[in-house]
Amino acid sequence: MIELRDVDLAYGARKVLEQISFQTGKGEFLGIIGPNGSGKTTLLKAISRIVTPSDGAILLDDLVLETLSPRELSRCIAVVPQAADSGFDFPVRDVVMMGRYPHIGRFGSEKDKDRDICRKAMETTGITHLADRSIREISGGELQRVIIARALAQEPRLLLLDEPTAHLDLGQQIGILQTMRELSRTIAVIGVFHDLNHAAHFCDRLILLHNYRILAMGEPAAVLTPDTIRTAFEIAVTVRKNPFTGHPFISPLPVPDDGAGGCGNVHVICGGGEGSALLQALHAGGYLVTTGVLAVNDTDYTTAAALGIPCISEPPFSPVTGRSLGELSLMLKDARAVVMTRGLWGPGNIGNLHFLESARVRGIVILDDRQEGEGAWDFTGGEAAAALSRLAADGAIIVRDIPSALAAVAAITREDPCRT
Amino acid sequence: MQKSTPFLILLFLAVVASVLVCTVVGPAGIPYLGLAADESASIIIFSVRLPRVIAALLVGFGLAAAGVVMQGMFRNSMADPYLLGTSAGGALGASLAIIFLNGAFRWMLAFTGCIGATFLVYGISRQGGRMPVEQLLLTGIAVSMFLSAILSFLMYSAGKSLHQIFMWLMGGFWNISWTDVWIGLLIIPASLSLLLFSRELNIFSLGEEDAIHLGVDTELFKKMLLLVSSFITGLAVAIAGIIGFIGLITPHLMRLVVGPDHRVLLPASMMAGGILLVFSDTLARTVGNEVPVGVVTAFFGAPFFIFLLKRRYMR
Repeated sequence: MIELRDVDLAYGARKVLEQISFQTGKGEFLGIIGPNGSGKTTLLKAISRIVTPSDGAILLDDLVLETLSPRELSRCIAVVPQAADSGFDFPVRDVVMMGRYPHIGRFGSEKDKDRDICRKAMETTGITHLADRSIREISGGELQRVIIARALAQEPRLLLLDEPTAHLDLGQQIGILQTMRELSRTIAVIGVFHDLNHAAHFCDRLILLHNYRILAMGEPAAVLTPDTIRTAFEIAVTVRKNPFTGHPFISPLPVPDDGAGGCGNVHVICGGGEGSALLQALHAGGYLVTTGVLAVNDTDYTTAAALGIPCISEPPFSPVTGRSLGELSLMLKDARAVVMTRGLWGPGNIGNLHFLESARVRGIVILDDRQEGEGAWDFTGGEAAAALSRLAADGAIIVRDIPSALAAVAAITREDPCRT
Repeated sequence: MQKSTPFLILLFLAVVASVLVCTVVGPAGIPYLGLAADESASIIIFSVRLPRVIAALLVGFGLAAAGVVMQGMFRNSMADPYLLGTSAGGALGASLAIIFLNGAFRWMLAFTGCIGATFLVYGISRQGGRMPVEQLLLTGIAVSMFLSAILSFLMYSAGKSLHQIFMWLMGGFWNISWTDVWIGLLIIPASLSLLLFSRELNIFSLGEEDAIHLGVDTELFKKMLLLVSSFITGLAVAIAGIIGFIGLITPHLMRLVVGPDHRVLLPASMMAGGILLVFSDTLARTVGNEVPVGVVTAFFGAPFFIFLLKRRYMR
């Protein structure tokens, strides 16, 4: 329906985008993402004809955009801006009716049909109860719904959204994006997003803009990779599958602090997701972190992989094998300190504990951040509890939180300084 | 919109009533009943008071209409018909006529000055076929200041004409003839033509970019409104000099009463502006002993407006 062919965009001499080509149509929610200043909004402005391309063509149903009159254009394309300006205090009903402007002639007046369309638009966006209120009295989220209703009253075939939820709370954001998603089944919707996770969740296809061009285009999972995101946004992220929806889910990684001063290998024994924060803290602290043994379905395993931390692994739900224990013994030999989360102990991981005891490792720190009476943690019939108290008696340091764990590790590694 | 119809009808009746009442009121008290019998009374009524009252009504219509348009177009409640240099241009034209032509063609030069100033502002603020509202506003202020500087110089060196220029600047209806009324009648069709743009004005008040998205040809819209409103202001200034307050306050006043919908606001403001100016002028020529009408409009209007504003914020 809308097609861009090798479009170049510029503000005067400053080029913003070049050689942009894509098309979209009814039934698709297309998201545009990219860092600030990458031209997302300018691209929308080109499609809504606020900005004229310096080269290339934009076609609406095979018609060049420039050949349409302003009214014809706004019968096809509607725009929802970032935040609406409320100006004079018009009632909501009148603002929605403004969407009918391109359909009503200069000498014409509003007909029942127009009123019906406005009523439906207000129902779709859930603002029927606000019809008689002034747009100055309603909240930002409600105002944005009014502007969306006005856009729908235009009966467009293409809806352009410029970060329509930028100033709204999370509940309003999701509500509005959900409505947009449903609308995109009957008309084409193109939206600019800042929140990559929202874009991944709601869009059928994404365009990632960077350095004047389209860096990646396709399904969210194909566009949102650690590589593309590092290139475009200059940050390291992990991309996981959102366990609830299956969409890509992006979390930024902490930036390692070069001046943190940690040195030497530190091995972490953890599991069940309890070690993730610890792994990140040690990694950011500048230590060469190793971990294991972990099952590959463990959250801590995913964290280690994302941070690039070497990890001894086992298949899901299997006991620790001798081969893994061999690797573990090599890693422990290199480690200046070993940090262990108190964790949940069962037949699947008690092997780690026994191994630690028998290997007579020095410099053990046990991170025990549980509250009193938090529930059962020892599923080995007391075996784990006994092993832990033996370790403590042997000189293991027990700490209550991550900063104390870092301090303990720093103290141990200072006694045994780096050779470099 | 329908619910405002009774109010508009009421305003119309008030317009008619104010013309009748104010024609009767005057230093030479003339009762309606005595009209047919007394020839001098009939001259006072038909050659002096009636043209003056009707001229005040028309100028009031025009200033209020132009004020509504300017405030809507600039989305700025400080905007008035004189915003884009019209007053300075008109005053300069009139002063030139007073100083160099002994007052002849004052009418023509004032009108030309108004329109000329607007065209100057328009010409300067156009950039590649577009005319950003902010650019227009700032250019208007700059051009006004420039023309005012010339005007001040003229007044400084005007000598005995200074009093005449000064009186003209404050605005008034003391020299009105039927000719002024015939010319002033042009204000009515011009103001009514603005009604055709009332839907655009509504949309425009939510922002220029939104207006483009809704299919308003904003450049054409701005050009037309500028042209028509400067034409109206030019006529008003040519007839009665520079009368402040009406074009600034009447739109606010009516917005408080009928709301922001220009389809209602425009006719309501026109009528209210007419009534206000007719009564102000009547006060000026009776109680005020021919004080310039601008003094009356501001003296009584401003406190009343402040009262309304206070009440609105208390609510």
